[in-house]
Amino acid sequence: MTTQLAGGVVLIGWPQLLLASGFIFVTGALALWMQLGVTKDLAIGAVRTYVQLLLLGLVLGWAFSVNQWWVVVGILALMTVAAARIILKRAPDAPSGLFWAAVTSMAVTGITVTFAVTGLVIGADPWYSPRYVIPIAGMVLGNSMTGIALSLERVFSDLDARADEVLAMSALGATPWEAAHPSIRTALRAGLIPAINSMAAAGIVFIPGMMTGQILAGADPLEATKYQIVVMLMVAAAEVIGAVIAVLMSYKRRFTADGVFLEKGLRD
Amino acid sequence: MPETPSILDARALTISRRVDVGLIRVLDGVDITLEAGTLTDVVGPSGSGKSTLLLALAQLLPGVEGTLALGGRSADTIDPRLWRMRVAYLPQRSALQPGSVASNLALPWRLKVRTGAPAPDESALRAALDRVRLADVALDRDVTRLSEGQAARITFVRTLLTAPRVLLLDEPDAALDAESSAEVGRATREFADAGGAVVRVRHHVADGLADRRLRLEHGHLTEVAS
Repeated sequence: MTTQLAGGVVLIGWPQLLLASGFIFVTGALALWMQLGVTKDLAIGAVRTYVQLLLLGLVLGWAFSVNQWWVVVGILALMTVAAARIILKRAPDAPSGLFWAAVTSMAVTGITVTFAVTGLVIGADPWYSPRYVIPIAGMVLGNSMTGIALSLERVFSDLDARADEVLAMSALGATPWEAAHPSIRTALRAGLIPAINSMAAAGIVFIPGMMTGQILAGADPLEATKYQIVVMLMVAAAEVIGAVIAVLMSYKRRFTADGVFLEKGLRD
Repeated sequence: MPETPSILDARALTISRRVDVGLIRVLDGVDITLEAGTLTDVVGPSGSGKSTLLLALAQLLPGVEGTLALGGRSADTIDPRLWRMRVAYLPQRSALQPGSVASNLALPWRLKVRTGAPAPDESALRAALDRVRLADVALDRDVTRLSEGQAARITFVRTLLTAPRVLLLDEPDAALDAESSAEVGRATREFADAGGAVVRVRHHVADGLADRRLRLEHGHLTEVAS
């Protein structure tokens, strides 16, 4: 088997890609033998990985060659909407009608953090440079999506768990903010845990993905490290901003306009 | 005999709830007047809507039809949070916040609705606890170290300290022993005698403290002959 080098990167051919897929066949066989009931999900996941990432490769190649601001903005919009839909699926206790809260939190986070990094830290030129903006936005949106989904799921499940306390506080004249505040705090902490864990373990437990990619592509490890530090801090900021916006825009949906908490038996 | 002033008037309170067999009217045009200095017990079978009635009177339930007035003033003209400050509902299940007994007793004065109102000092909190047989509970005790009955008395005392005009008590003695129940009953009676109005939902046998007993069944409220 021969390998090719292009700009310091070891190129992977189709045979090697198929060979790597062998691992998923082994895993599938193991799952089947142990009757885990996840063989179908594994197969679908593997196919999706192929299709989605190959499509992404093609789209990125096209976006880089076109190099237009509207292409970049369009891709970011699609990514934001897709992330918002995933967030709502991951928060089954959340009330309906939270789509725009999810979209807004993702969009504000995505725009603010992505362009702060590409413009102020990396100095991308032009400002919409797809080679920088799209991958950075992908990392920002992907991570803030996790933080937002965790926070949204937690704020509503915690409000339900504290239903007696929320009722008692409302009965004392508390506003929805006052009654929900302990749940909001719990939810935002939960949303931040992945970012804090990543920062604590980076470089000790694992080598982060972006740094790995750059090192494999032949970059100087120290330069790759600098990029990774920017990314880690950016991701932490994105998770906080996104989670705060999403939770603040949505917690009141568990209350009526008169501040009555809608516990399980009172919801439509 | 001088006419007793009415504090709270509820007219035609109606609320429906979806159950397995369809839609039922939990309250079906209920009228109730609470007069100053009176203690009313509401009895009835489980699930008959007694708690629902209290929640409706406290404006803690959405979708209630009918009218409410406090001291002759329509509920529509009163901010719901101010209403709840004056018409205090005490849930059956005691829910305390993590922290000390003192911090839980002072909770109402940390809320926006009581901005500027003087919070009771430590001696007032101590006296309030002593009143309901909690003399052995230190103000700095963590609430996780309280029994269910102690927690119930602390939430009761907290509500009393807020000096509402109407007290709506949902089974206030469900978790209490006989002596504690008697103390809570006595404090409730004193609140009414000082000019307040009280509604208690109770399952226990009559303790002789109530001025009247009402029975709620099939959405209707009827007087129980003494």
